[in-house]
Amino acid sequence: MAIITIITITDMFDEPFMQRALLAALCLGPLCAFLGVFVTARRMAFFSDTISHGALTGVALGLWWGFADPTIALIVVSLLVAGAIFWLKEKTDLLTDTIMALLLSGSVALGIIILSLLKRRPGDIQNYLFGDIFAIGWQEVGLGALLVIIVGAALFLTLNKISLITVHEDLAHVSAVPVRLMNLLFIVVLTLTVAVTIRLLGIILVTALVVIPPAAARNLSRTLRQQIVLSFAFGLIGALGGTALCYQLDLPCGPAIVMTCIAIFIASLLPRTAFRPRPV
Amino acid sequence: MHLRTPNNSEPLAIEVNDLRLTLGNVPILQGVNLKVPAGRLVALIGPNGAGKTTLLRCMLGLQRGFSGEVKLFGETQLQRALTRIGYVPQRLNLERTFILSVREFLCLRLPQTRSWFWHSHRRNDIALRGSLAEIGVESLLDRPLANLSGGELQRVLIAYSLLTNPDLLLLDEPTAGVDLPGEQTFYDLIGEIHKKRGITVMLVSHDLSMVYRHADWIYALNGVICCEGPPQTIMNADSLKQAYGIHVSPYGHHHDHHHH
Repeated sequence: MAIITIITITDMFDEPFMQRALLAALCLGPLCAFLGVFVTARRMAFFSDTISHGALTGVALGLWWGFADPTIALIVVSLLVAGAIFWLKEKTDLLTDTIMALLLSGSVALGIIILSLLKRRPGDIQNYLFGDIFAIGWQEVGLGALLVIIVGAALFLTLNKISLITVHEDLAHVSAVPVRLMNLLFIVVLTLTVAVTIRLLGIILVTALVVIPPAAARNLSRTLRQQIVLSFAFGLIGALGGTALCYQLDLPCGPAIVMTCIAIFIASLLPRTAFRPRPV
Repeated sequence: MHLRTPNNSEPLAIEVNDLRLTLGNVPILQGVNLKVPAGRLVALIGPNGAGKTTLLRCMLGLQRGFSGEVKLFGETQLQRALTRIGYVPQRLNLERTFILSVREFLCLRLPQTRSWFWHSHRRNDIALRGSLAEIGVESLLDRPLANLSGGELQRVLIAYSLLTNPDLLLLDEPTAGVDLPGEQTFYDLIGEIHKKRGITVMLVSHDLSMVYRHADWIYALNGVICCEGPPQTIMNADSLKQAYGIHVSPYGHHHDHHHH
């Protein structure tokens, strides 16, 4: 039995689609989790959810205009949704989460209408909603690798600035941090990362990889350094482990990754009774 | 005691000329004029809604859309003056759910600790040591910022603002939410820093009963600077009573200021 398991595990590495999926998971898991440390601290989890749902309209438009691969359309529409959030925030007195809920449902509705006009069967969009391991082409792997190098380096180079903005924006400004520019760059980087990760996890589940690993890491940490290191590791384990489970147990890719992350999160709750941080 | 009226020969730390700001049809600042000579410990007081925090935000370049002039150490390009300023924000606005230890927070301020993430605690602590002893926050280094008490967090914020040896320290409502003995300790600490470093300190507060004991000079703001002077004089000024709309006793700690 054990021998059979080992054989199927090594089989996984022989399949070209699995090689691509694992490489993409290797890049995007830690990247989402690292970004997620600041996304969660800055209360932007719902923002991430909104831009990923906006991608459904992107997918629909991509298919409508006959793109074989809607990745570019998906990224463009996600960026437009992010822009729309800020434009509405400036122009109206509405609260940010009201604006995001509006754009989230609006872009899902528009995407579904376009897809129904195109007479697509629901099975086709399911791969976008929940992630599709076969959809990871070399283009996605390349984008993932490029993102992890550029964004990872940028995050480390600006770690102090982002941390300070997260603690207190005015204090960051007085400490000579270009707050508006940094906020804009953070949004762009988050949007690109989420858009690229959608092929692996799906529109509905992608935020899990941004939120769950840093949340699990937060349970076990007392310093930012610990949280970043642990979140990075959990993102890696969750994404790689989930992708492997997807292959081994023939599960949909996104849910397999999310449940692996959830398992890590549950495990992270266990030591809390042993050395519980003092309540605030 | 510095009881002199500012004269033209003294170098000015803060100079504000005819500052005006209207936010959504509500005039907040209506021609503020302010001259703070370098080296003083002054207080900017006023009731809630008088524009204190807004004035402070204008001075720090955080507020757009005002008319008039703000000069810090003679510099109108506020961005350039920021290196000489230590700012202690209102503690309550701090994002306290963010996990950041006191050591990590202080490391964010200094160029020598820019790479704190990769360095050992010992290496980081050596770079921070100077300011830690002065403020007495060494024992707090390993604590998460989120778990500090009001008084502890206040000290950490002051240590942070002093790391770069500023010439001007601006504190926004520094004792809000600190208990009475903590408040006393806090003002003693500020007085000590002021004396030892010879820097200019401005306290922004609605709580005049506390600041009047420690400041050399008080500016009362209510849309405009309605009066200024040494504490003893200003406590009896009619214009101050007007600003607060009630009788103010300098000797009772509790005062009933009405919210507008």
